[in-house]
Amino acid sequence: MPENLTTSLQLIKPEIALSILLVVIVLFDLLFDKRKNLLPFISIVGLLITAYFVAEQFNMNNFAFRYDETSVGLLAVDSFSAFFKMIVILSTIFVILFSVASTEIVNSSDRHGEYYTLIMAMVLGMFLISGASDLILIYVSIELLSLSSYILAGFLKSVERSSEASLKYVIYGSAASGIMLFGISILYGLLGTTNLYEMNALLQNANVGGFTFIFAGIMVLGGIGFKVSIAPFHFWTPDVYEGAPIAITAYLSVASKAAGFALLIRFIKVTFFQSLASDGSWIMLGIIDWQRILIALAILTMTLGNFAALWQDNIKRMLAYSSIAHAGYLLLAVAIFSNDGVIAVLVYFAIYLFMNLGAFFVVMLIANKIGSEEMDDYKGMGSATGFLGVALSIFLLSLAGLPPTAGFIGKLYIFIALINADMIVVAFITLLNTVVAYYYYVRVLKNLYLVRTETSREKIQVSFGNVIIILLLLIPVFVFGVYFTPIVNLAKNSATILGF
Amino acid sequence: MSENFLIQLSVIVLFLPLLGFIVTLMLGKKIPKIFFFEVFVLFTGLVLSAILLFGKLTYFSDSRIVSEFKWIDMGNVPVFGSINIYLGMLIDDISALMIVVVYIISFLVHFFSIDYMKGDIRYNRYFAYLGLFTFSMSGIVLTHNILMMYIFWELVGISSYLLIGFWYEKKSASDAGKKAFIVNRIGDLGMLAGLLLLFITYNTFSFEQIFGEIAKGNLPFNSEFWLTVTGVLIFCGAIGKSAQFPLHVWLPDAMEGPTPVSALIHAATMVAAGVYLVVRVFGILTADAMLVIAIIGMLSAFIPATIALTQNDIKRVLAYSTVSQLGYMIMALGVGAYKFAFFHLVTHAFFKACLFLGSGSVIHAMHHEQDIRNMGGLRKKMPITYATFLFSSIAISGIPLTSGFLSKDGILSGAYAFGSLTGHWLFPFIGFLVAMMTAFYMFRLVILTFHGEPRNKDKYDHAHESKFSMAMPLVVLSVLSLFFWYTPNPLSPDAGWFYSKWIKDPVIYTPESARWDFMKTDEAALTHSSAEHPVMYSETYTEALHHSHGPAVILSLLVAISGILLAFTMYQWKKISADKIAEKFKPLYNFSYNKWYFDELYDKTFVAGTLALSSLVAWFDRVIIDGIVDGSATVTKAVSTFTGKFDNVVVDGLVNFMAYLSAFIGLIFRRFQTGKVQTYIIMGIFSIVILLFLFKSF
Repeated sequence: MPENLTTSLQLIKPEIALSILLVVIVLFDLLFDKRKNLLPFISIVGLLITAYFVAEQFNMNNFAFRYDETSVGLLAVDSFSAFFKMIVILSTIFVILFSVASTEIVNSSDRHGEYYTLIMAMVLGMFLISGASDLILIYVSIELLSLSSYILAGFLKSVERSSEASLKYVIYGSAASGIMLFGISILYGLLGTTNLYEMNALLQNANVGGFTFIFAGIMVLGGIGFKVSIAPFHFWTPDVYEGAPIAITAYLSVASKAAGFALLIRFIKVTFFQSLASDGSWIMLGIIDWQRILIALAILTMTLGNFAALWQDNIKRMLAYSSIAHAGYLLLAVAIFSNDGVIAVLVYFAIYLFMNLGAFFVVMLIANKIGSEEMDDYKGMGSATGFLGVALSIFLLSLAGLPPTAGFIGKLYIFIALINADMIVVAFITLLNTVVAYYYYVRVLKNLYLVRTETSREKIQVSFGNVIIILLLLIPVFVFGVYFTPIVNLAKNSATILGF
Repeated sequence: MSENFLIQLSVIVLFLPLLGFIVTLMLGKKIPKIFFFEVFVLFTGLVLSAILLFGKLTYFSDSRIVSEFKWIDMGNVPVFGSINIYLGMLIDDISALMIVVVYIISFLVHFFSIDYMKGDIRYNRYFAYLGLFTFSMSGIVLTHNILMMYIFWELVGISSYLLIGFWYEKKSASDAGKKAFIVNRIGDLGMLAGLLLLFITYNTFSFEQIFGEIAKGNLPFNSEFWLTVTGVLIFCGAIGKSAQFPLHVWLPDAMEGPTPVSALIHAATMVAAGVYLVVRVFGILTADAMLVIAIIGMLSAFIPATIALTQNDIKRVLAYSTVSQLGYMIMALGVGAYKFAFFHLVTHAFFKACLFLGSGSVIHAMHHEQDIRNMGGLRKKMPITYATFLFSSIAISGIPLTSGFLSKDGILSGAYAFGSLTGHWLFPFIGFLVAMMTAFYMFRLVILTFHGEPRNKDKYDHAHESKFSMAMPLVVLSVLSLFFWYTPNPLSPDAGWFYSKWIKDPVIYTPESARWDFMKTDEAALTHSSAEHPVMYSETYTEALHHSHGPAVILSLLVAISGILLAFTMYQWKKISADKIAEKFKPLYNFSYNKWYFDELYDKTFVAGTLALSSLVAWFDRVIIDGIVDGSATVTKAVSTFTGKFDNVVVDGLVNFMAYLSAFIGLIFRRFQTGKVQTYIIMGIFSIVILLFLFKSF
């Protein structure tokens, strides 16, 4: 047992580093009340150290906290989880930079300590989620992530819409987690274990199935679907995204979605799949037809997200629906259930990180100055926004998937995977969806550059630091649009999930 | 020095000007002096490319250095098999030489422009465009695959469009930009078709792999005919870029751009890209394709030369001369004189850039006067410009001791050898004729501009020698046109390092049955070829080339000198009156003066044709009587009314309907978003139940 513990501790170095960082932030906040402006710096340094430990985990294939010497364990440590942890770390670093630039956050400086503490708690939750292979750990880590994000969504206490968002989030989230817990308990009741790998071993041999299983499976899916905001569990998304501080919205739309997808893929693949076919697709156990369910939900999600976004007048809300639509594309890539599909998901996330964060960041900077996120207030702002406008246009076009931006490559890989799996009809529906998406993205560009207004606006000045942050996001959007081999290779290496 | 180092160097050399472009463009308005950055970048690039050439020639003289990476992996595509697209760099003898030539000219043009463009309102943007252009050109030179070449090819197109139309307030300039761009597109279409033919046959764009496949005998559609077609289609790209007949019309108009631009893109780089392309694919050209190329080259050498005889605009004379010289190179490639063609490309780049910059210096001094009838006597006012201009004219006329003599004589003896081997004597004949005309019109230009009495006293009085920054490039370029850079023997390049060491004999991949007889590998070529006695293609060819050298030297000297003497008799000593001759051969004179009416012809045919239905129908238009024209116009109108209606009612209706439908669906979806969290939860749970019943049966 002590040996087991030492090996396990070796394997959770990133999580340990994060926990230490969390404590350091709390203590620093308590001890040096006057030096709160150092908190972001400390967080970033801590995250970079964590990133170093995560980098070590690429190409690992192991369990932390095994039940005994040879059996499976609580937490899987593999390249797949390492990839998602990297995505989480990168987006967290960006979000911390955003927070420094955000007037909303900066104005409530007396509570900075808890802000960064909560963010680190979220990171810890997401780290555990991306590796969790036991239903109990899955549930606990989801709760860790959710509870922290509820508070962060309502971080602007004095703003009514922020508090409202937080409250809605809590209520909806609690309901979702209750449903998920219900599903988990049924699964435990049926199989007598909470470990995904053990469940799989039981399912491989026993001829089980039927209504109860599907019932439990869909309820667990509901819980995860809530986190990644796929329809019909997305209802909280627009309200919370609109109400939360923009930095947190951006964070929710990228990092916690990434963690949710990591969990979704691992949960379904490990539990309900039998083995790998020679062409890289996965062979399903005949218990729940996940493919049909997920394809149906994916199409519903992207269609709903895209069409509802058409009507939005608030740009944050529009981006919320757009992120729902993107969740639809990603879910579709998951639903292919092949190695190609997983690679497409990973590539997509690596790209989505930059373009989505970029869009939110520019919206935030503009909102800092003009105090509004309404589409109408963007009219004729093309020249006043200058560099910001250009950057926003590029991020939006990338989200729409226009070459030569990286967004095109992300979609390209999803389509390649779809076509390789002979899912032509679905590919076609997705294609139509992306066409609809152009409308609402380009609408922002139209307002910026083509609509003329009488009143001339004062030019919005951008500080040098913010330009650098934008460039850090913008350059990958271009570079990965042309030279994407490195991320594709990284994704290929990271697509190995512990299991078959 | 390792291969890796050279590849890294080439990548830096490629991307440096792009950096210059971005920085200069971005900061152009904020920092007025930012153009120095661009010039500095170019200088760095020049130094690095010189190191690249040195490294290549010293350490990897015989190898081709290729480095590539996988750009797009399309996986296993049904029917085609696995498709991967690679991008990469290729450093071989010609690309290493060419990149240095590009950088020398480009740097000198940058340097020259500092004073020439002074005071322009878009000064920094001008330098930014020059950077973009240099980037595109380097890409063409250094790439290892035809796809990337095509991409950079188009980039050259766009950047030349920006430069030619740089003074876009002037209608003639913006028109010229458009003309250059559109005419180039026509050629590019052929090139695109050619490279797609190659791609569907070989699933790769890489030169190496395509050549390898052809060497193995895999031909497009398994026929030599299609190989010919592919070769000719790719050559179409060269016709456009190198301004070859019948697409040569854009180049003279492109003189509307700033003069240093003309020196850069119309003497040494852009127009040379076409020749470079043919040099690249030389190994896969069949005998038929080569004949087509030779004929196009011959026509392009001859027609513009006759036009240049009578033009009065200093830059237009040079423009036609450029087309004519490019025609020479293309013809040389067509007749198999591969090495001389490339040699001439290099030497011509220097003296033609010198001539263009010299004319820029004159135009600058004369306050934008370009008509040589208003010049004269400038020799005394502008001694440096005069000396360099004269020397370059001597070089282009092919007088010994210059580089021009070496390369031109080589082309002529190549054509002569070709004539003796195949009986196509027209090529050497036209070659010598053009050589004479070249000498004549160049000296006509020199005499009218610099000799005699000033014809416009007012402008003459204000003329002055240009500053250092403009004079220096002229001197450098004319010094580079001296023979000793290329060979120790001023009469023959054979022994020189350029001809025998730097450029390698071409490797021919075409099947033996599709080659000219003299290009078939014979016993002698395999056994006798050695460093002292190189055999190109075959022993017969080398023999013929050897024998043609003597007569070619004598003949070319003879025609050049007679051309020069004629120019002096007519314009300097006025023994023969040019006007009288013009009067006597009025129709011929008009024909030449009006540039063979090509522009009028194209306006009437292709331009009008494109505007109506298609160029083909328009061609019939001229032939068939007006009534039918009117008739077809009526039909066209009716059809367009109908399609217009169709468009308005059906197509637009459908589009609008789809838009309304989308909006309607969106509206419905939005209804669900009530803002009440209890509804959300109910809907969530409700949908779980629905899902359950939808998917319960498995």
